[in-house]
Parts: sequence; C-alpha cells; structure tokens
Amino acid sequence: MFTRAHIKDSFSAAIPVMLGYVAIGIPCGILCDSIGLNALQVFLLSALFYSGAGQFMIPNMYLASSSVASIVASVSLVNTRQMLYSASFVPNCKNVSKRLAFFFAATVTDETYGVSTQRFAEGDWSVDRALMLNLFSQTSWALSNVVGVLVGSALSIPLNIASFAMTSIFICLMVTQKLTSANIVAMVAAMLGVYLAKLLGLTGPAILVGALVGVAAAFAFSAIVGKSGSKGGAKER
Amino acid sequence: MSWQEFWIIFVCCALTMLACRVLPLFLLKGKELPDGLNRALGFIPPAAFAALVANDLLAPGMFAEGLWPAAIPFAAAICVVVVALKTKSLLWSALTGVAAFALLLLI
Repeated sequence: MFTRAHIKDSFSAAIPVMLGYVAIGIPCGILCDSIGLNALQVFLLSALFYSGAGQFMIPNMYLASSSVASIVASVSLVNTRQMLYSASFVPNCKNVSKRLAFFFAATVTDETYGVSTQRFAEGDWSVDRALMLNLFSQTSWALSNVVGVLVGSALSIPLNIASFAMTSIFICLMVTQKLTSANIVAMVAAMLGVYLAKLLGLTGPAILVGALVGVAAAFAFSAIVGKSGSKGGAKER
Repeated sequence: MSWQEFWIIFVCCALTMLACRVLPLFLLKGKELPDGLNRALGFIPPAAFAALVANDLLAPGMFAEGLWPAAIPFAAAICVVVVALKTKSLLWSALTGVAAFALLLLI
C-alpha cells in the first residue's frame, strides 16, 4: 500500500504531469484573476472541481458574457468524457476497497488517466500508487493556480506554447499504445469522430463523441475480423 | 464574478464532474462484466488518447488563413512522435513538443 517505494514510484510518474500543470496552471490562475476570482475561490475550484479544461472555460465564457446556466451546462458537457475513464478503470479497481476506489476515481484527469493506464498496462502499478499520482498532480495544479492569481498579469506565459506540453503528453500516450490493427482503427475513427463533431458544431462533447466513435469502430472491426476467422488481428490486451 | 455566481458555478460543475468521475466505476465495480463490454473497455485508451490529440490539433477551417502558421502544431507533433517512439518518455515528449513549437513560431 502507501509504502515509501510506492510514494517514490508515484512521484516519478507524476513529474511530467506536475510540470505540465505548472505551465498551464499559472496562466489559468491569471485568467481567473482577470474576472475577479480571488485566491480562495481559485483554490476551491482547483481542489474540488479540478479540471484544466473546465477552469479555462469558466473565465473565458464569463468574459464572453455567457449566462451562469450556460456556463454550467457547457462545462459539464465537456467533462462527460471522464465517464469513459471511470469505466475503463473498472478491471483495475476490482479488488480494492470502496473508499480507495472512490478517492482514486474522484481525482482522475485526462493526463493522470493516461499515465495510470500506461502503467497498469505495463504491470508495475496499483490503485494506491495511481491515487498518489493524482494527488501529486492535483497539488501542483492547485498551487500553480493560486500562484497565477497572486502574480496576476505581472507575468505573461504564452498559453499556446505552454498547453502544447499537454498535447505532447497525449501524443506520446497515443503512439506508445500497442499498435494492433483494432487499436489503429480505434485511433483513426476517434480522430475522424472529433473532427466531424466539431464540424457539426458539437465542440463541447467532441472528445467524448470521438472516443465513443473510436471504441465502436474498433469493436465492430474486431467482431468482423474475429468472425471471418482471421488470425488474431483483433487481439488486444 | 460575484460570490453568488461563483458558488452556483462551482457547486454545479464540481457535482457533475464528481458524478462523471465516480458513477461509472461504482455502477460496474464488483459485477461480472460480459466479454463484449470488457473488450470495448480495452479500446477506450487508444480511442481516448487519439480523441484528445485530435481535439488539440484539428479544427474545421484551421488552414483557412494559409498553410504555414497553421502547420506549426503538426510539425511540432511530428517531432513529438519521433521522440515518443524513441524514448517512450512523457517528460521528453512534453519538453520536445514545447521546444519545437516555440522554435517553429520564431521562424
């Protein structure tokens, strides 16, 4: 469980995510400061809501004078993709207590989902380490946001460059997946799905829609290939 | 933003987020999952990572104002792919991506 060795494991796994969160957490705090949120409010958001995409959306939509109801609806819609992460951790949480599973699931983000998924696949990982990875990352996110509020606009970080750290993390996670034909179908279909969703104006849920299209396409592909008796083409882990 | 607006947004968003994060796991935990569902769950990682990448890189009309500035994220992404395949390291990938993106913007 929470041994010294596990804490070390978790911390080293968390380093790339923590650095990425510093890079985008500070600009996020600066943005929140610009709509008059104070350090306490930003800390509450970072600690209990804890969503990079969401915490950028709230001030941006507020600046565009959206109503409170439409901010809540849009942000919630964007975060529906978390349901997929939650479902995908079911096998890993089979033999852990409800309390541990709850705190782990409640602190998963896009990035920590990716890191834990990769580590679970490699085998040397467990839910307690995954929870600590989440908490290290969350601490980095919350502190960076508060720093952003405190420095305000005294510091300027080019956000397009900083946020490319996250894009790079997702690219690395994607290309280091097992490249079975079914997985490749999942990836290509998911990318097409995201593009089509955006084309249809479904920018908010684009990630969820794309990922579901990818899963469905790979599932259909593996069913067809499996039926025609082709050798192991649909074999995923 | 007033405190009242803040509380409404904060509480509602935090609750829907918690539900999305926790409910699917608890609804499925402890049940024998049918084979098909297990197989589908296995496709979530490649599909989700590809969707996250596509969400950052692709947008309708992205080349509307010419090829070059718009191609910078793709050029940087290719550098990341090379480094990711070689090192399998998230940290090196992130550093490469940020450096490549910043350098390409300077050109």
